[in-house]
Amino acid sequence: MQEFHPDFEGLAESYPAAPRLSAHNIVKTFPGVTAVDDVTFEVLPGEIHAMVGENGAGKSTLMHIIAGVYRPDSGHMMLDGRPYAPEDEKAAHRAGIAMVFQEGSLFPPLSIAENIFAGRQPVTRLGLVDFEQMRRHTRELLRDLEVDLEPSTPVIDLSPGQRQLVDIAKALSQQVRLLILDEPTSSLTISEARHLFKILRQLAQRDVAVVYVTHRLAEVFEVADRVTVLKDGKVTGVRRIAETTADELIHLEVGRELSFAPDPTRVSTEAPVVLEVEDLVVPPVTHASLKVRAGEIVCLAGLVGAGRTELCQAIFGLRQRVSGHIRIDGVELTPRHPLDAMRAGIGMVPEDRREGGLFLGMSVAANIAAANMDLVSRRGLIAERQIEQLAAQSVESLRIVTPDLGREVLYLSGGNQQKVLLARWLARQPKLLIVDEPTRGVDVGAKADVYDILRNLAKKGVALLVVSSDLPEVLALAHRIVVMSEGRTVGELDPLEADEVSILQLATPGGVA
Amino acid sequence: MTSTLEDTLAKPEKKRAREWSPQKLAARIARDRPLMLIVLIAILSGWMTISYPESFPHPANFAAVLLDAAQSGILTVGMMILLVGGVFDLSIGSTLAFAGIVAGTLVKEIGLPPLVAFVAGILSGTAIGAINGFIITRLRINALITTLAMQGILRGVTQLIASAGVANLPEGFKPFGQTVFLGLQSPFWVMLVVVLLAWFGMTRTRFFRQFYYIGSNRRAADLSGIKGDQVTFVGFAIMGTLAGLAGTLLASRLSNAVVLAGVGTELRTITAAILGGASLFGGAGTIPGAFLGVLFMALVQNGLIIARVPVFWQSIVIGVVLLVAIGVDQLGQRSK
Repeated sequence: MQEFHPDFEGLAESYPAAPRLSAHNIVKTFPGVTAVDDVTFEVLPGEIHAMVGENGAGKSTLMHIIAGVYRPDSGHMMLDGRPYAPEDEKAAHRAGIAMVFQEGSLFPPLSIAENIFAGRQPVTRLGLVDFEQMRRHTRELLRDLEVDLEPSTPVIDLSPGQRQLVDIAKALSQQVRLLILDEPTSSLTISEARHLFKILRQLAQRDVAVVYVTHRLAEVFEVADRVTVLKDGKVTGVRRIAETTADELIHLEVGRELSFAPDPTRVSTEAPVVLEVEDLVVPPVTHASLKVRAGEIVCLAGLVGAGRTELCQAIFGLRQRVSGHIRIDGVELTPRHPLDAMRAGIGMVPEDRREGGLFLGMSVAANIAAANMDLVSRRGLIAERQIEQLAAQSVESLRIVTPDLGREVLYLSGGNQQKVLLARWLARQPKLLIVDEPTRGVDVGAKADVYDILRNLAKKGVALLVVSSDLPEVLALAHRIVVMSEGRTVGELDPLEADEVSILQLATPGGVA
Repeated sequence: MTSTLEDTLAKPEKKRAREWSPQKLAARIARDRPLMLIVLIAILSGWMTISYPESFPHPANFAAVLLDAAQSGILTVGMMILLVGGVFDLSIGSTLAFAGIVAGTLVKEIGLPPLVAFVAGILSGTAIGAINGFIITRLRINALITTLAMQGILRGVTQLIASAGVANLPEGFKPFGQTVFLGLQSPFWVMLVVVLLAWFGMTRTRFFRQFYYIGSNRRAADLSGIKGDQVTFVGFAIMGTLAGLAGTLLASRLSNAVVLAGVGTELRTITAAILGGASLFGGAGTIPGAFLGVLFMALVQNGLIIARVPVFWQSIVIGVVLLVAIGVDQLGQRSK
């Protein structure tokens, strides 16, 4: 990174030399919680500043304050040496501050150009929209970002990564001085993320200040110059990237050490095979074969779009295969609906927790009971008491943090929501549990809990098929790694011998890493 | 009756007021839709009693209100179940008329026994609901379009079968809708049974609880082993059955199957259900809420009639109530 910022060292040394934005003693309370508690934070021109912390640490709230969405209860901000107190988002925009949200604020049916100039389309002398000028400007912006897209393409046809770049182009079209990105890579492929990092560095070269909110420490080290760590609404540390380590950052985030050492135990090849997938074709999966034994954690690694999720969906009855075999305990399974898979002893925690997993407006107890209606009812009648018992046991044994069992699951943290989903399946004592992205959007502390839960299940003899895009997680969790690439299972690795590079080599089409 | 309503309400209120502050009580009422409706119904009844002491607090008037609530009540139960599951049915008015005409034609023109015609009328509603359900769950056309189309088609088909209607239905067909028990006509009692059964079903049975999951998150429901399509299909069949029941009861009550029966009932029914706590986003609502929503709407309508407000105002008031109820629902969503 240093090569892009020849005088960054000097800038940092000579502080407080004109930060782009500084926030002093910011406090923001919501009913019942102090989300941001006396935070002082600054970002320099030309700097990429990462902001990390667990869910609920106050990152988002602080960013929303800077972007003019919320007003702080107390404290003040300075933008390029002048007092900055935006009335609303529009005022922040005018001051040159743009925020790119996780799910971009785009209009999918409209073209890229119309999105970028939404609400401020250039007009001709007749007062009509000047599409020609809009397209020309858009083309220039996209060229700057090295994106090969036609300005007239509807946004709905773009990949998540491309949409994010359109969002950034929109920010750039407005003379941005400070760009805030909130978890920008959560839906990007590896190459899209790399492209984004490159763009961010170019922006920094042009003296734009970038604040980068993320969960992924690896990215912090890849792209950021400095990092601020938040915990419980307070700043626990500001570090220069060159002077810190992942362990230190985790410690600052959670206040304790965590070990993600791989599990050295191996499941005997004598153990019975619970799941066997043979020559499975279910588009976009063109050929998949794998086995998971009782007590074994098999991680499916691969790039986004390799067909991992689709493979899992086929096993769970969400997709109908074209050909090939799925066997559970040696018996052929043709699930037409998840219920068929459940009856065969399979459970699945999907990757999109909020869309595919949770009933957000319903209680913790109702969420846990969802797949267990047979266990909590007799002759079709529901026993409310059994639902409560089941939920109480789950909350206790999985250490789910919730004020009460009737609380809507919407109000729980990402980690606790994930535990609720695990609890739903644990109650059924499945033979095979499929977990797609077990710790996406889960903070570091809860991550360790989820790992414990999965490892304990394996110890009890459950077969686990885990999909994860987080390579350190794959290495920590797996007894065996199966790599998929472009719809095919391309190889197996032993996590004790593998590393991130060897996984990526297998996963990348053409073998480049 | 009004005084007892207010009494039962006032007592718990006083009790709570001692433990809770008025603000807390107000917040609880605002959150708890059935409680809010009870309060609204009490206020409305009290106001009407004071303003129209001659006409409002009369057993005959209450019987009329409850009879008016009967048809809406039967329909709103079905609509509530669908809304909880995240869908709705705009074809119920046409289904109601169709079922009445089917029963009327069978008993008068074909000469079938009254009971057979009555049951056939109800089942014709079931069939319409099943067709709706099939189109929505199998052909994947959304509920709005499917049932809107069905509304138009069915109204036309009904007129095709019996251009103006079937008048002067035989004596034997009348008891279904005209029997008086404890001073109230049979449609009210039928409604009461439907409400109680549905209440029990929606709170206690595994099958009906599934609607809450489906309406709350369709994908997650399927992933939890709940067959969303199957349950939604049954929901529409139930709705059709209830519309059929309401239609045959109406024909029996009027001794007359009217082709234009039930025009605009979908508006009243959806309004009552939303008022009773259903959300357009699905996953919310209760049967007691639906019942109280119906009762409130019936009282409003009764009030308008007693106050001699021109009849077109009723439609305006219902529309405004629907908008207000949905507005409250939206605000609730936003605060989440």
